Amino acid sequence: MASNILLSYVHKDSYFHKIDPSTKLLITVLVILLTFILKNYIHIMILLLFIFPIGIKSKVLRMVFRPVSQLFLIFILLFIIQGLFYPLATDKLMDLPFGFTLWKDGLINAANVGSRLLVMMVFGFWFVLTTHPGDLVSSLRKIGLPNALGYIMITTLQMIPRIQSQMKTIIDAQKSRGLETTGNLIKKFKSYLPLLGPLFMGSVQQAVEKSMALEARAFSSDCPKTNYRKTTIHLKDKIIMICAVALSIIGVILSWTL
Amino acid sequence: MDIITYKNFSWRYSGYKGWTLHNINLSIKKGEFIGIIGKIGSGRTTFCSSMLGLIPHFYPGTMQGEIIINGLNVKKSKIADLSKCVGLAFQSPANQLTGAGTTVEEELAFGLQNLGVPYEEMHKRVDDMLNLIGLEKFRKRSPFELSGGQQQKVAIASVLIMNPNILVLDEPTSQLDPLGTEQVFDLIKKLSKTGITIMISTNNVDYLSRFADRIILFDNKIVKIDTPKKILTDINLLKKHSLTHSNITEVSLRLKKMNLSKKELAIDFAELKKEIEEIMK
Ligand SMILES: Nc1ncnc2c1ncn2[C@@H]1O[C@H](COP(=O)(O)OP(=O)(O)O)[C@@H](O)[C@H]1O
Ligand SMILES: [Mg+2]
Repeated sequence: MASNILLSYVHKDSYFHKIDPSTKLLITVLVILLTFILKNYIHIMILLLFIFPIGIKSKVLRMVFRPVSQLFLIFILLFIIQGLFYPLATDKLMDLPFGFTLWKDGLINAANVGSRLLVMMVFGFWFVLTTHPGDLVSSLRKIGLPNALGYIMITTLQMIPRIQSQMKTIIDAQKSRGLETTGNLIKKFKSYLPLLGPLFMGSVQQAVEKSMALEARAFSSDCPKTNYRKTTIHLKDKIIMICAVALSIIGVILSWTL
Repeated sequence: MDIITYKNFSWRYSGYKGWTLHNINLSIKKGEFIGIIGKIGSGRTTFCSSMLGLIPHFYPGTMQGEIIINGLNVKKSKIADLSKCVGLAFQSPANQLTGAGTTVEEELAFGLQNLGVPYEEMHKRVDDMLNLIGLEKFRKRSPFELSGGQQQKVAIASVLIMNPNILVLDEPTSQLDPLGTEQVFDLIKKLSKTGITIMISTNNVDYLSRFADRIILFDNKIVKIDTPKKILTDINLLKKHSLTHSNITEVSLRLKKMNLSKKELAIDFAELKKEIEEIMK
């Protein structure tokens, strides 16, 4: 299921691909903050509407929603669990067979949590899809991001597709040794356990090797660093940032007064 | 002036009995081309790692003696500082890739970013290097999606681009095809002419006999340091260390066995030619 989620930068010639990564990061951070400040799922879903013009202008709208659709099951599960077992439930919606009760406040809580998750994911994906990791680090370094943190960001952004392909290699290897990775859920879960070993053992070994590779390239030298990829904050970036902050403040005030 | 000095250097990996390298004494002059040979497990990779300080800084173990590289005491220096004068191409090229670049060109630029090379110069050096190693077509590809041989070229290029005084190559052609091997050795020879010091671990004696100024034979210690002529024609010594001599030496050996020639064994084509010309007379 997870194997065809593609979560890395996709090169496109679009307006939002060209603006500075810091601008996009600010938009994403503001949206995530808003999902926490706004208390009502209707307000949060209004926030979601913004992804449509932005996504279309970035030419990645479908790609943004593809991973969401693959996590659809999780959202269903959220509603079932919260609807039936919400611990603070007081407001009954209806009785169900076998002594279960569907709680209205449970469903509302699920909607709040779910919409928050949805908005965060959608904007997070949008950011990752439109922002080249190299540009992001280059841009953030200019405003004081430490070298080591920059490296961690770059590798993390590349890690998801890498881990996916590693998982596949390990699964293939284990399968060739007779491991079952199909069957019912419990069986499946059990059979995936032996895969974690190689994945994490490999990671520790890799971490040591990577740090040798980094040091061999003067990574922790004291000289001031330069960037291979050029990024500049233009006037339009500043305008977008100011608009984004202003819109957020207006949004918060509206949501409090309405 | 000596650019590399080893004084009574010994190294033991922690948890292992016995020295992996024992009592190494060595002086290398600036601009020398040194071949490092020895059988598997003779400590060549360990020796190469010690020139950049990965030994002792990254591996647990016991070190004795002293290593001075380009005036820096390895034990007291940061690897990042040593890396400004020593370029080490690892034995397995995949380990050289930092992942800090999403593409080949960014991977090459990584060291330059860390050295603070200005934007314009950095791009020029990356372009030149891609040209030099013949990987322009692959500049936008992920380095993790290259073949072993291509990765090997990227790995060598990634340290070479930093303009080191000393280039240490640990079996740099192990994954290359004959043409790729030829290209890499030609490149190394060209570099050597510019005055940089080359330390190359390879059992490819055909190339060493042509290019090396001196050869070090390792077997957990230095068995012998001498000219290619002295070492690569000592067939019994080579055999003892699971090594073979070059094809040219083999021809010369057969001529001798046929009692056609009484000269010492030839090591390169010029010598062999002379030998044959004398026989023809
Ligand atoms: N990280 C390590 N830990 C412990 N022992 C090692 C390590 N690396 C190499 N050795 C041992 O040190 C010896 C020399 O290895 P190495 O330097 O890789 O030789 P070579 O490159 O000539 O094949 C071998 O016996 C090997 O097993
Ligand atoms: Mg080796």
